[in-house]
Amino acid sequence: MSENNYKVQRNLWENPWGYVESFFIGFGLLVTGFFLEMFVASDTPFTISYPYNIVFLVGYIIILFILYKWFSTTQLIRWLTKVPASISSIVLVTLLVMIMGIIPQIPSESNFINNLGLNHITSNWAFLLIVFQFLTCLGLISIKRILQFKWSNFGFILNHVGLFLALVSGMLGTGDLQRLSINVYEGEPSWIATDAKKNKVELPFAFYLNDFVIEEYHPKLALVDNKTGSIAHNNGKNLYLVNEGETYYFQNFEVTINKFLTSAGRIGDQYFPVNELGSPPAASITVKNTKNDSIQNAWISSGSFRYPYESLKISEEYSVVMTIPEVKKFSSNIDILTKEGERISTVLEVNKPFKFKGYKIYQLSYDEKMGKWSNLSVLELVKDPWLPVIYIGIFMMIAGAIYMFWVGNKITKN
Amino acid sequence: MTWIDFPLYSTIIGILWVLGLIFLLFSYKKQTVIKFANLLFLSGWFVLIVFVVKLWLELDRPPMRTLGETRLWYATFLPLIGFLTYFHWKYKWFLAYSIAMAGMFLAINYLNPETYSKTLMPALQSPWFIPHVLVYLFSYAVLAASSIVAIKGWYDNYKGNFNIETLKLADNLVYIGFAFLTLGLLFGALWAKEAWGHYWTWDPKEVWAFLTWMGYLIYIHYRYFHMHKSKQALTILALAFVVLLVCWFGVNYLPVANTSVHTYTNY
Repeated sequence: MSENNYKVQRNLWENPWGYVESFFIGFGLLVTGFFLEMFVASDTPFTISYPYNIVFLVGYIIILFILYKWFSTTQLIRWLTKVPASISSIVLVTLLVMIMGIIPQIPSESNFINNLGLNHITSNWAFLLIVFQFLTCLGLISIKRILQFKWSNFGFILNHVGLFLALVSGMLGTGDLQRLSINVYEGEPSWIATDAKKNKVELPFAFYLNDFVIEEYHPKLALVDNKTGSIAHNNGKNLYLVNEGETYYFQNFEVTINKFLTSAGRIGDQYFPVNELGSPPAASITVKNTKNDSIQNAWISSGSFRYPYESLKISEEYSVVMTIPEVKKFSSNIDILTKEGERISTVLEVNKPFKFKGYKIYQLSYDEKMGKWSNLSVLELVKDPWLPVIYIGIFMMIAGAIYMFWVGNKITKN
Repeated sequence: MTWIDFPLYSTIIGILWVLGLIFLLFSYKKQTVIKFANLLFLSGWFVLIVFVVKLWLELDRPPMRTLGETRLWYATFLPLIGFLTYFHWKYKWFLAYSIAMAGMFLAINYLNPETYSKTLMPALQSPWFIPHVLVYLFSYAVLAASSIVAIKGWYDNYKGNFNIETLKLADNLVYIGFAFLTLGLLFGALWAKEAWGHYWTWDPKEVWAFLTWMGYLIYIHYRYFHMHKSKQALTILALAFVVLLVCWFGVNYLPVANTSVHTYTNY
């Protein structure tokens, strides 16, 4: 396996530059970036928006093209189109992203992290510089393969150009990305949204919330430790969904669900089906202690923002409780009112956004304290004019991946 | 309540596979015995698939939400990769390793009884859920197989009988695994755009998924240009798998975990 029985003696910075020089340059970029971060960094992240990002993109590609076409014999360009430069920049980008994957990207108490900007890697100068080198390698290599086009290079071009487009337009597009959120209340029109910096933005259309609907799963049964208040069954896993007629086993207790009401109110010592604001689910249960055959009957309820919960103490140590039901689905039945007097009705749901006038409108949230009685629906509006370019990049990479699968399959013994 | 049946199913699978492995061992002495080994592996695998299908039907949701459920899929895909690679390359050791590894993941699930909750949060209720998770876990299984090859390569290297063909098998697996890894990552981006309004938010899981992708990217580029530096390539392959493992379940233990939307839930 030793193919290099001889070692060529060569000096540092001698032509052509290899791994040592590549990492030297890469670390140089990182150090420069961290210096910039320490001494000239501003609080606002570096973003450019329309039309400067388009100018930048076109200019960048033209410069890369000129560099490849007329300067490819120079030391620097030759180095950038060779493997050591690519691998070193991939490794160093990986290194910085790894920092991002370990240090939480939130305000930090550590001076070291703050000064070097390790808690905002994506806008860190060191990251931007090394990504710039990475993209320059990627761009030059892509131009090289496109200009020397062969069908056998097709997969290569799909992967590299796709990645280049997705990354560059993703980064440059941040400046034009608009994300707004808006609170919409049942029965009144709303058209004032807020952006990420809490500024008010007036929309060219208004929302009218006809109805906000939450579907819930049944609540679950849990065994709770009376002293600690924590769930004492199977490490908190395997809670049972409350279903009428089912019997569940917790240690030496046999719990049967006699009756289940999704929306109940207490009258005297019993629960009855009612449909009021805040009426919680309730169940009538029978608990049999198999050790001494004692039997307890009771109603339990998960409670709501308006009514207290009710649990059943089954021994000195444990109680049976009903958990707050989990949300299955939430949706807003809305009308969009335009200035021209149009009225467009639609239903917004998680994972089902609605496209309107260049915006994508998402169901984001609601008043979680009120739960299914919320009359507030929080919507999000996103405008990302660079999305088509990013999608072209992504679909090129998907095609490239399929090509790779095909190539991978062809590698055989001999 | 299918998970309660799991001990039964996993015991049957375990017995079939252990018998299969014993037959496989004998086949080094007598080649024809391999047929019995394959038959036992296949029947164990069939039982596993029956269990997965039953679980899916029982839960009324794709069983892909919890860590235990992802291990189940991993255990399901590994034998498939073992079989396909065996028919392609005729390496018995590889088949044995992938079966043993699948068995190990079933054993982990056996020892950690998992949740069989039917609930599924709204963000996961999407047509992207199944392709995203399955493509990813298939890729993880193929890449795990490639790291088995890396270990074998290291061992052979140590013994001094390294064969460059081993690396070609690793390439074969890495290319396929990387293709699926790319698809999983991009499907995730397309899904995130529909669910959260943006395709990439540098969520900790996304960060580590990106790192995993970069790790194998380094391997592929290194291999492409340094065909004969096998030891370095094997090292890169092993390191990339460590990053993959961090991404799969290590993220939950990192300081960044509580800022992630991707952590597997226990309830």
